[in-house]
Amino acid sequence: MITLPPPEPKTLARRAEIAGALKRIVPDGVIGDEASLTAFDCDALTAYRQRPLLCVLPETADQVAAILNYAGRENVRVVPRGAGTSLSGGALPLADGILLGLSRMSRILDIDYENRCVVVQPGVTNASVTRAVQGRGFYYAPDPSSQIACTIGGNVAENSGGIHCLKYGLTTQNLMGVELVLMNGERLPLGGKHAGDGGLDLLSVVCGSEGMLGVVTEATLRILPKPPVSRTLLIAFSHVRAAGETVAAIIAAGIIPAALEFMDRRCIEAVEAFCAPNYPRDAEAILIGEIDGMPAEVDYEAQAIGEIARAHGATSVRDCVDEADRARVWSGRKAAFGAMGRLEPDMLCMDGTIPRKKLPDVLERISELSEHYGLVCCNVFHAGDGNLHPLIVFDCMSPGALEKAETFGADILKLCVAMGGVLTGEHGVGVEKKALMGEMFSDIDLAQQERLKCAFDGQGLLNPGKVFPTLHACVELGRMHVKDGRLPFANLPRM
Amino acid sequence: MPSVSPLNEAEAADAVREAAQTNSPFEIVAGGTKRDYGRPVTAEAVLDVSALSGIVKYEPEELVLTVRAATPISEINAVLAEKKQMLGFEPCDWGPLFGAQAGRATLGGVVATNACGSRRVKAGAVRDHVIGCRFVNGKGEVIKAGGHVIKNVTGFDLPKLMCGAFGTLGVLTEITLRVSPLPERVAVLAITCEPETGFRLLREAAKLPLDVSGLAYVPAERLGTSYIRVEGAQTAVAQKLAELQKRFAGQSGKPLDGAAAQECFRAIGDGASFADGRSDLWRLCVPATSAPEALLAARTEKTGPWCADWAGGLLWLGLPADADTAMRLRSLTARFGGHATLMRAGPEARAELALFEPETKTRAAITQSVKAAFDPKHILNPGRMFEGI
Repeated sequence: MITLPPPEPKTLARRAEIAGALKRIVPDGVIGDEASLTAFDCDALTAYRQRPLLCVLPETADQVAAILNYAGRENVRVVPRGAGTSLSGGALPLADGILLGLSRMSRILDIDYENRCVVVQPGVTNASVTRAVQGRGFYYAPDPSSQIACTIGGNVAENSGGIHCLKYGLTTQNLMGVELVLMNGERLPLGGKHAGDGGLDLLSVVCGSEGMLGVVTEATLRILPKPPVSRTLLIAFSHVRAAGETVAAIIAAGIIPAALEFMDRRCIEAVEAFCAPNYPRDAEAILIGEIDGMPAEVDYEAQAIGEIARAHGATSVRDCVDEADRARVWSGRKAAFGAMGRLEPDMLCMDGTIPRKKLPDVLERISELSEHYGLVCCNVFHAGDGNLHPLIVFDCMSPGALEKAETFGADILKLCVAMGGVLTGEHGVGVEKKALMGEMFSDIDLAQQERLKCAFDGQGLLNPGKVFPTLHACVELGRMHVKDGRLPFANLPRM
Repeated sequence: MPSVSPLNEAEAADAVREAAQTNSPFEIVAGGTKRDYGRPVTAEAVLDVSALSGIVKYEPEELVLTVRAATPISEINAVLAEKKQMLGFEPCDWGPLFGAQAGRATLGGVVATNACGSRRVKAGAVRDHVIGCRFVNGKGEVIKAGGHVIKNVTGFDLPKLMCGAFGTLGVLTEITLRVSPLPERVAVLAITCEPETGFRLLREAAKLPLDVSGLAYVPAERLGTSYIRVEGAQTAVAQKLAELQKRFAGQSGKPLDGAAAQECFRAIGDGASFADGRSDLWRLCVPATSAPEALLAARTEKTGPWCADWAGGLLWLGLPADADTAMRLRSLTARFGGHATLMRAGPEARAELALFEPETKTRAAITQSVKAAFDPKHILNPGRMFEGI
């Protein structure tokens, strides 16, 4: 179970006054009635719910600045939220916190083909960025599976990935700049249409900071010219190990596919029953590879991948014949999460990353754990970059099932770390995995990260209770407050 | 100047802890090739970390390499080349710009100064390749951050913050990188043209789906040259080159292959045309579309050599290190967006002028707070970037 910071009774008692103040900033955007607030109780980690104190939906960066300035002055906690699609509870509200929803800030501000970038407000959905530029042959590369709903603000906060990360990077590699509003209401532009910044690379830590450093009110995104050709290969294996070895051999041969996805037998069966993408029935594992680029490079890579796969014991290698065929093969992968619903009503999606070569060992161990807990676990996997998505299915109406599924999930993540991997590849730590941070980091490591938060948000008001296993006040971490660029008592020696 | 030379990470941590206790700041040095890049450090002692060298772990099939921070780039390149891999950010060797021998730069210094080359237009900066690190903070604590896998969002991305921080936040001891396959073939289309045309061609090439890996312009007495680089498998490069030649058929273009193709971009990234002598040198970053205008406005009759990289997004400018020039360049960054860095100048100018883009009050306060979060006693390279940083 997770714990959130205990609500401040003083803040709870001031609810009406805070609502009034927010209404003065955003007259038509404050939600305070219980029924409407219910819609904001949770994000996509639905096992955890918390009614926020109030919800405010600003339309402009000025309003965001005024809200944060007010909250900072009045010592009120703030939880930013995009579309609420976080799988790690990154936007889980606080009982005494203002939920700051950015969904109304959904305008594309500038499309600049000459500088190959787009400037958007944070509430713009991921998919609509590509939609806005595809007519001119461009696209935005990061493509988290929630892309029709999730927003760029959330993508920046979580450093979202997708299936094309190995070749095209995560959000951080495709983010050129942001305007960040700090907890005191000041605006901090970072990066832009130019390369980098002159000073410290603050943009690099803002991306993936899970809404704990500031609120993004504008983002400049890199767009890429769409490759002229894409091809999809469906490769079947009778052994999981052979599939794993094939992935390693493809990479070792110097080929970086646009996507390389793995599914195990359990997952293949569930998906076949759900949407019949016509995967090979007898396969223990399949790989779906996508390659893109100029025709000659796609031909070369398709042939090389086919040869490598056969040499490593692939039972079949199928090159999709046309767009419809490609769409059908991908439909199965994209429906994998939905297909779990046929097995059990509830699902936990894990997100560890492992060194690719450990895949067979990790899958074997997951299968043992699955038996131990008596819970089914299907595996889909961004094989190209080692990002595992074990899907644990269960029925939360059955007593103790959620707790059991969570313990199983935690065991998988601990296993990932023990194998040289990490807790989360693209979903974020949020509330879901914060208790496991000690598996990867020492208290000293974590205190260093927390001090970075303090540098941006000295009062600890912005999205507290996420990422870190224990909530520390900044003073406990030994931070010295710097005001107007001066340390307190700058002339005194510090021991 | 007294020097402390730790033999390993634990000794480095001891040295910093002791220095923090006695308030004795260090200048951090490994290869020592870029000590004159940045403001003069206000320290009476040197922390020589050059012994923290060597490959810790290399897994070619994972595309991941872990090395101790002071490992020479030349050693890393050699080890990677054996497995047909490379550092994707095309590390620059800026040593000769500061009077040092070529080939002496270490990974730690390259990371600290964000010394990435022309390949940035395709593959990003140094920070896009650093996936994990260990460092000693200003309290003498050893901190681990990031991981050893390419895709990781666990905790704040501190390894990326270390890139370009000039050692002001921590002493890097170990760095984990994602590495890239070495392309089978690299080719360049060199087009002779006026700067204005040259910049336009570079931007047009960037909009083609050819995944170009270098876009530079080098002026000459009369007409200069636009260099457009493509890479990949043999057949793919042939097709990309053909596509470029078709697209720019009206221009006088000449394909370069092999060593000639490699050499022209190496020279641009390393700033080779500025390596002779010690004349003042600026780097100006603006949006690519603003480059022609910025170039015109930046140059005066006193202008020395210049060249452009990143489709015009980076201008190397031989301009004097004086207050007038600083003001002129910063009025351009204010107008177009971007930043100007005085990369090379004499010690007096480096002590007096703002070498890095001056920060707004809001940003300066955050920079100060971040410094305090990592190095509260200002032990590590104090003053290297800004006053007090």
